[in-house]
Amino acid sequence: MAIRPRPANNPVIFIILREMRTPILVLICVYAVAILGMALIPGRDGEPMSIFHAFYFVMYTATTTGFGEIPEEFSDAQRLWAIVCLFVTVITWLYSIGAIIRLLQNRFFQLAREEWHFIAAVRRISEDYYILCGFGDTGSLLARGLSDAGIPAVVLDKDENRIRALRLRDYNVPMPGLCCDASVPRFLIDAGVQAPNCKGVIALTHDEEVNLKIAAVSRLLNPNIRIIAVSASQFHEETLATLGRDTHFVDPFKVFARGLGAAIVNPPLYVLNEWLAHARGMTLDMRLRLPPPGRWIICGYGRMGREVNHVLHNFGVETAVIDPHPPEEDIDIYIRGRATAKTLKAAGIRKAVGVVAANDDDGHNLSIIINARGLNPGVFMIVRQNRHQNEVAFNAANADIIMQPSLVTARKILFMITAPLLRPFFSFLLRRHRLDVQFMERLLIRLKETIGDEWPQLGSVVLSEKHAPALYRAWGEGARIRLGDLLRDPRERDARLAIVPFVIRSRDERLAFLPEDDMEVQPDDELLLCGTEAALTWLEATLNNEHLLFYVVTGRDLPHGWLLRWLYRRRYGVSALCWSPASSGAGA
Amino acid sequence: MNLEKVIFGFFIVLALTLNFGFFLGEMDNPQYHNAYELFVLVVVNLIATGLKLGDRTQIGAILLSTSLVADLELIAAAIYWTVVVHVTETGMTPDVTASIVSLSGGALVANIVSVVMVVAETLMLRR
Repeated sequence: MAIRPRPANNPVIFIILREMRTPILVLICVYAVAILGMALIPGRDGEPMSIFHAFYFVMYTATTTGFGEIPEEFSDAQRLWAIVCLFVTVITWLYSIGAIIRLLQNRFFQLAREEWHFIAAVRRISEDYYILCGFGDTGSLLARGLSDAGIPAVVLDKDENRIRALRLRDYNVPMPGLCCDASVPRFLIDAGVQAPNCKGVIALTHDEEVNLKIAAVSRLLNPNIRIIAVSASQFHEETLATLGRDTHFVDPFKVFARGLGAAIVNPPLYVLNEWLAHARGMTLDMRLRLPPPGRWIICGYGRMGREVNHVLHNFGVETAVIDPHPPEEDIDIYIRGRATAKTLKAAGIRKAVGVVAANDDDGHNLSIIINARGLNPGVFMIVRQNRHQNEVAFNAANADIIMQPSLVTARKILFMITAPLLRPFFSFLLRRHRLDVQFMERLLIRLKETIGDEWPQLGSVVLSEKHAPALYRAWGEGARIRLGDLLRDPRERDARLAIVPFVIRSRDERLAFLPEDDMEVQPDDELLLCGTEAALTWLEATLNNEHLLFYVVTGRDLPHGWLLRWLYRRRYGVSALCWSPASSGAGA
Repeated sequence: MNLEKVIFGFFIVLALTLNFGFFLGEMDNPQYHNAYELFVLVVVNLIATGLKLGDRTQIGAILLSTSLVADLELIAAAIYWTVVVHVTETGMTPDVTASIVSLSGGALVANIVSVVMVVAETLMLRR
């Protein structure tokens, strides 16, 4: 049984009614006494006013509207009573209005109102969405990425200022936010964790315990949901792994270290990855200038330092570590102390080929760059940037690789959501590179030729009935459709869209990497494509519009209406409306 | 060149131009607005609607709906005309004429939307 996300009573209206109870009772009583008095006091002719006239008079007196009209000329007794009415009713009104204002300013009332608005906003989202817990550096980068991909998200954060900042951003999709503790089940339910179109919960708070709790609570509330949690400790990973299917953890340092390892064995892959992620200044012509074999110095042996050290060791690179804490494991060269000119010299900076500044303090890391560059100008620098706001300083420092944990995490999670096939594709590239060193270079040249200088977009397309209705209809009519035909330009069939297909996953989980044009696509295939934004839009048009699809497949135009289709069939025969490709131009 | 596009474009543009011709002139003066022109206009509009039937795409659906709007307004105008001339026998007074012409003006806008959409689609798929 799902718990209803909203209590049956509307809490906001309930609070207003409860708070307004006394003022309303007071108003009613004062009005009643005033009207009754007016209706009892005799007028000039000895007869009192009718109740209707008394009601009319008190109404406009009490609200100080001050109409000039009175039903009939008053006696002095009535005038006296009118004075009393005027004072008493005005004071009552002031009291009632004060009560309303007091209520509106009440912190708890505001919280209830915000929560209520938030629930309403979440319910209005009709597409699939994700819940983001934590809107720090990583959260805001991820929200931006999701918005660009057209995926709505619901944001929960403890910090009110972050939620206020969220409301000022301009996203293409709804992004409602609530200031609350995301690990409290009630708020996760408010955020729609049990809604059928909620696809996942992403726990990105700074506190790993909180992330773990969010993951566990979400799993209990909705067994089918996808859970992604940021975690950098072994214990949490093990606990998360017990939460069952579709639970993932992302450790930014491991992700980065793995990326660094891939960059060392396969530098073009690093270029490809950065290019796909739209890293600043990255083009397909850039190559990573890797240093010659030699000693690396790792400054700071925290989580990042440890991961980098392991990776470098696995590739047989000699390392020296500088860290103020006592060593926890057996390391050949371990110099205790902060990374200063003296310790750097002791670690052999003059002969070293690379330096990794991996402290969790940006000031330290920047000073390490300056020190190391001063002692050995040619050294390869990898630096960790902890705070997004220090970007300008890091760019000026001109390190070879800048590693931002928040950026790495956001990118990784975004790719997990928008391009799940990218990971098997990268493993494939690593494998292929080992067999054929020129393979990556050829891929980069192909991408360069196809996409040019534009920003690439990764597109995940599922050829399902919902996402490719035209294609499904064509299959129903017995068409056999090749990948190359889908990738033709619907404006000019002999031209190709600027798309390079990366992976096709068929219904039975079989993967085809870098598929050829003559590969036939099957129902429910999932495609990972890389192309320009315009090209992917055109592809979507082809998949949704049967006229465009008919044209790219057969080279003929499908008549639009029934009438013209009938004429066409009479003139050219039934075969003209079949999905067989045109005899000419088919090999384009 | 594509025969289908010629037929399709012909009727859509003919509907628009006839509609414009009928609409042109003083609003409330029956002299400027011809009954036969309205008749041809209704027929051409109905043919244009027929050509749009059976197109399952999004743009086809919108084209059909604009066409239906034009039909609706023009047929309303024609019925009104018939009623005032033959049923109530008030004849084409200025206010009746103004009503009929403004209905045809509404149909004109729907026809303009149709043509703009056809042109936009053609420009997008330049081949």
